Amino acid sequence: MSTEAIIEVHELHKDFKLSVAKTGAFSGIRTLFSRDYRIRQAVHNISFSIQPGEFIGYIGPNGAGKSTTIKMLSGILHPTSGEVRIQGTSPGQHRRQVAAQLGVVFGQRSQLWWDLPVQDSYDILAQMYSVTPQQLRQRIGTLNDLLGLEEFWKTPVRKLSLGQRMRADVAASLIHDPDILFLDEPTIGLDIAAKRSIRVLLRSLNQEMGKTILLTTHDMDDIEQLCNRVMVINQGELTYDGTVQQLRERIGLPTLVRVIFQGPFQLPINLSTTLLPFDIPVKDLGFIRILEVDDRSVLVEANRQEIKAMDMLRELSTWGEVDDIHMNEPLFEDIIHTIY
Amino acid sequence: MIPFKPWLKLYMILIRSSLQSRMQYKFNFILSTMLAAMIQIAEFLMVALVLYKFGAIRGWTVYELGYLFAIMTLSKTIYRSLASDVHHLENYLVEGQLDQLLTRPVPVLFALMTQNFRLMLGEILQGSFLLIWSMRHMMNSGQLHAMSIPYTLLMILSGATILFAIGLATASAGFWTTRIQELQTLTEDAAQTAAKYPLHIYPSWLKSFFLFVVPVGFVNYVPSLFILHGEYGLWLLLITVGVSLLLLILSLQFWSYGLSKYQSTGS
Repeated sequence: MSTEAIIEVHELHKDFKLSVAKTGAFSGIRTLFSRDYRIRQAVHNISFSIQPGEFIGYIGPNGAGKSTTIKMLSGILHPTSGEVRIQGTSPGQHRRQVAAQLGVVFGQRSQLWWDLPVQDSYDILAQMYSVTPQQLRQRIGTLNDLLGLEEFWKTPVRKLSLGQRMRADVAASLIHDPDILFLDEPTIGLDIAAKRSIRVLLRSLNQEMGKTILLTTHDMDDIEQLCNRVMVINQGELTYDGTVQQLRERIGLPTLVRVIFQGPFQLPINLSTTLLPFDIPVKDLGFIRILEVDDRSVLVEANRQEIKAMDMLRELSTWGEVDDIHMNEPLFEDIIHTIY
Repeated sequence: MIPFKPWLKLYMILIRSSLQSRMQYKFNFILSTMLAAMIQIAEFLMVALVLYKFGAIRGWTVYELGYLFAIMTLSKTIYRSLASDVHHLENYLVEGQLDQLLTRPVPVLFALMTQNFRLMLGEILQGSFLLIWSMRHMMNSGQLHAMSIPYTLLMILSGATILFAIGLATASAGFWTTRIQELQTLTEDAAQTAAKYPLHIYPSWLKSFFLFVVPVGFVNYVPSLFILHGEYGLWLLLITVGVSLLLLILSLQFWSYGLSKYQSTGS
């Protein structure tokens, strides 16, 4: 582990004890006093380290342990074993000290005061985080430029739209100018415009203000557009840690290609005697798989990690005079689906 | 510990903005305030009517009863206004809002208390009215004297502390059971209602229950024995204050223990 890491996690474990529910008479009371437990490993042997200024996507299916990890990083939960250091300090042992350096947003619930106008929530938070009125005014000014808070400044939080609420919530986590942001599904349920404005904000927080951001999401566009590093967690274990590009390459899903020929074309197989799909070897590289054939076009797929586009074109042009080509890169969603 | 000044300032902001947001619905605010006051007064009038018919309850006059009523109402109002959401911890446990509070650089209990300020103007009006009315009569009749006023204020404060401690301990049980409403009905609602009357009227086992198990008797009844009847002596008041501080410390420890259990097991 590097010494300059802003977040370090070492062999982190979290087990949950689930009491086994009793059935029959007085089941509720018997469950309460029962000593039968089932242990569920929510997080299993996770280690990573994060450098200042990184923007990290933390993804995995529901129940994989994403939120549990974030809760341990922010001091909400204590690890069963292992170590977390946030700027050198353990959030489990010094929760309040670490909390002052963190901004945490849970997309599913608001951290604002439900019945109070948005600006009052900020006044209360400023007091809680020992932010002076001058600092508050200056930060609110900056955030307002990015998020347009003014339009709902005096509106009670419960009357905000989901998009407005999320903007207000993200701003609330920045009142004390933390170096690190944890965002748990900040774009959940938002429409496209609201998602875009949150993404624009997050990008500028990362690139211009140098914040280190850890983001969990189910929206793969968030990851593709924002993150320079992805960590995948599945069933409590870290199954991937690297760049988005490497993740694509590692999974190597096929690229779909539809070739339209100018006139008649001749496939290197006899269609009347061959069942589709059929694989055609290309040099020693790999193969092109023929999926569909009609009058003028052929649909094929190939793994771009094995066969370069030019090699594929060269092979296809031996079949006939190529008129047009459509290529569909594999969707990031599908890549993630494969890794889960 | 919490530095006192920012703590106070935070409450001021919270109270100010709660007031402002309540005032947005003026009619609703006035109506609910009046109703709350009326309900409390009606409850007292029922008792007063019975007293008027049958004389005193085991030696307690209607003014003394009003005094007990008022002390309980005012103590409860202070507790429920300043620590409103301690009473509603169940919601935080069920909906996971407690996690949010754990991300604040302040003690969790403080973050919880400052989630909400509940202005109970109806209860304040009713309590103050009853207190002034009953104390004036007892002053005029020479039963109370000038020192009774600071004694009474001290009693209201220690009473609020006791009710807060009971409420906090009850809420902390939620770290194990999650659901606490039934328990609250017993330790808070029922106990507070029962202690509006002199504990004399209850069978001795129930009286012991309200003195040693859920010690609501120390909110108004025990110190009143000295202030109203001059029984035992000033030390009874000191014991009351001592009991309130002891309960506060114990309930804070129980809370911390429950919270650490929450942090190691999740909800």
